[in-house]
Amino acid sequence: MPQILVCFKWVLDEQDIKIRPEDLSLDTSRAKGKISDFDRNALEAAAQLVEAQGGRVDALTFGGPAVKNALKDVLSRGADQVLWIADPLAERADARVTAQVLAAAIRKHGPYDLILCGEGSSDAFNQQLPVRLAALLGLPCVSFAQALTVAGDRLRATRKLGDCVEEVETALPAVASVLSEMNKPRIPTLKQVLGAAKKPNQEVKLAELGLTPGQLEPRAVRVGAKGFVMNRKNILFKEPDAAANVARLAASLAAEGMC
Amino acid sequence: MAGIFVYSEDLALAGQLLTPALDLKRSLGQPVVALTADAASAAALAALGPDRVLVLEAGPASPEALAPALADLLQREGAQVVLVGGTLRGKHVAAHLAAVLDAGLASDAKALAPAEGGLGVQRILYGGLAVSEEVLAYPAVVTVQARTFLPPPPSAAEVAIAPQAVLADARVQVTRVEQAAREGVDIAASQRLVAVGRGFRTREDLDLAAGLAGALQADLACTRGIAEDEHWLPIERYIGISGQTVKPELYVAAGLSGQVQHLVGCREAKVIVAINSDERAPIFEAADYGIVGDLYQVLPLLTAALAR
Ligand SMILES: Cc1cc2nc3c(=O)[nH]c(=O)nc-3n(C[C@H](O)[C@H](O)[C@H](O)COP(=O)(O)OP(=O)(O)OC[C@H]3O[C@@H](n4cnc5c(N)ncnc54)[C@H](O)[C@@H]3O)c2cc1C
Repeated sequence: MPQILVCFKWVLDEQDIKIRPEDLSLDTSRAKGKISDFDRNALEAAAQLVEAQGGRVDALTFGGPAVKNALKDVLSRGADQVLWIADPLAERADARVTAQVLAAAIRKHGPYDLILCGEGSSDAFNQQLPVRLAALLGLPCVSFAQALTVAGDRLRATRKLGDCVEEVETALPAVASVLSEMNKPRIPTLKQVLGAAKKPNQEVKLAELGLTPGQLEPRAVRVGAKGFVMNRKNILFKEPDAAANVARLAASLAAEGMC
Repeated sequence: MAGIFVYSEDLALAGQLLTPALDLKRSLGQPVVALTADAASAAALAALGPDRVLVLEAGPASPEALAPALADLLQREGAQVVLVGGTLRGKHVAAHLAAVLDAGLASDAKALAPAEGGLGVQRILYGGLAVSEEVLAYPAVVTVQARTFLPPPPSAAEVAIAPQAVLADARVQVTRVEQAAREGVDIAASQRLVAVGRGFRTREDLDLAAGLAGALQADLACTRGIAEDEHWLPIERYIGISGQTVKPELYVAAGLSGQVQHLVGCREAKVIVAINSDERAPIFEAADYGIVGDLYQVLPLLTAALAR
């Protein structure tokens, strides 16, 4: 029965982030946290696999101190246990650092048959962690899976690429990243939420993972972030008379040379 | 030793990557090497001005299966900058290369230039809400999406094309490949698009959008929900951060709210038109022209007005 690990990221909900008009800086003061959207698909995929054929699901995250807010949510989504590494260093970490930290934690707390990740995080969407993790652990990686099955010690997956759909197979242990179209993440029921309180969570201390300062130093450093502003004409036709609006839009499109 | 390397399994994109690569060559003073696994494309790449073309000889292996061998090669060559075409396969390859080279990786970079401490790049953050500036220490790996750059002009210089034996990773076996049903339209190349969202109540109602598209000689596109949840249009028609990025002349958005994850895929359109019944819908902020109204009323009128 497969021992599954789902790696997830606790991110700021981008819907709560405001752009300050004076300097386009980002105001995150009112932003709540959430489990990164695609990681919820990975959690759901793991939960469904285990519900269908047994096994167990651990969840693992590396984040800042706020990551503790994720524990209950992740446990109510089907994980049996959550391992968490909370360190302020996570705020500057790039995917290289995160992959090293997660790989070290997996070496210490594993082994796992299958490691699942979302295809990218909803904040940085750098789409590299699962492959990096697999490379560090020396495991094969199937990226962008649309469907997954585990049969014995084999992973079968359907991968959705730009120009084709591939059926692929690899021996476990393996890493896979999942696309959002794979499933609809559950909205935890009251029972699942209450059940989560009884499930174990385990803190993993960054200092115990034996990583060197160099390994924890990002090689992709964010030096600034500015809100994106659209420079558009914003001409609105909003008369009660739809035909009048349409006539004015058609005239504008003609003036733009579009018809 | 050193160099600026470019790789994409997509020949057109490989050509486009040579533009930022040749630009970096001017500031870093390092040679540009184009890698390809397709011997037939080597001459076309050589004509775009790299210093060398290396033809990876690995048989019919998938691009991802070449990643470990490529990583070896780049390590031996002392690559300083690796630019990979930002297709899904390319992103897998790039992440593997970055892991082995122990390098930083920026995906879907929009601008690249040497900066203090390494290679400066711009990329989007929070689904398109913000643009972040990052500095990657050398060696740096970057993926770049199709059509971010135009290909460089042809160059007449003699370029060495050399074979390079590589060993493919056989751990992941591809057991079946199904070409995506393309239906003849590549919306990424469409000059005009009519995009639909959840404001349409049934699949049949998309006929209203199709009618408008006919009058405008446009193709249909959509939001993620229309493709992924409703399956009313094929997945490759949805626009946004996890879908397609398009740069058409005209983008007409009907019955879609204009969340940032959608907009990021179309905001470089020349003219954006929005039709939405909710005046506060964010799509209006992103639009040049908008009609506040019921699409069921507006689309037939607009189609008739344009058909005249
Ligand atoms: C990590 C992440 C990635 C995502 N990636 C993508 C992506 O790549 N692409 C994408 O599209 N989305 C993406 N999304 C989803 C995105 O955030 C929005 O939820 C989605 O784009 C909204 O789709 P919609 O506009 O069709 O639906 P809605 O947001 O429900 O909007 C429907 C709109 O129709 C209008 N309307 C209703 N009835 C009428 C009528 N009769 N006449 C006129 N107007 C009407 C409403 O006012 C409303 O504005 C992503 C989300 C996340 C979190």
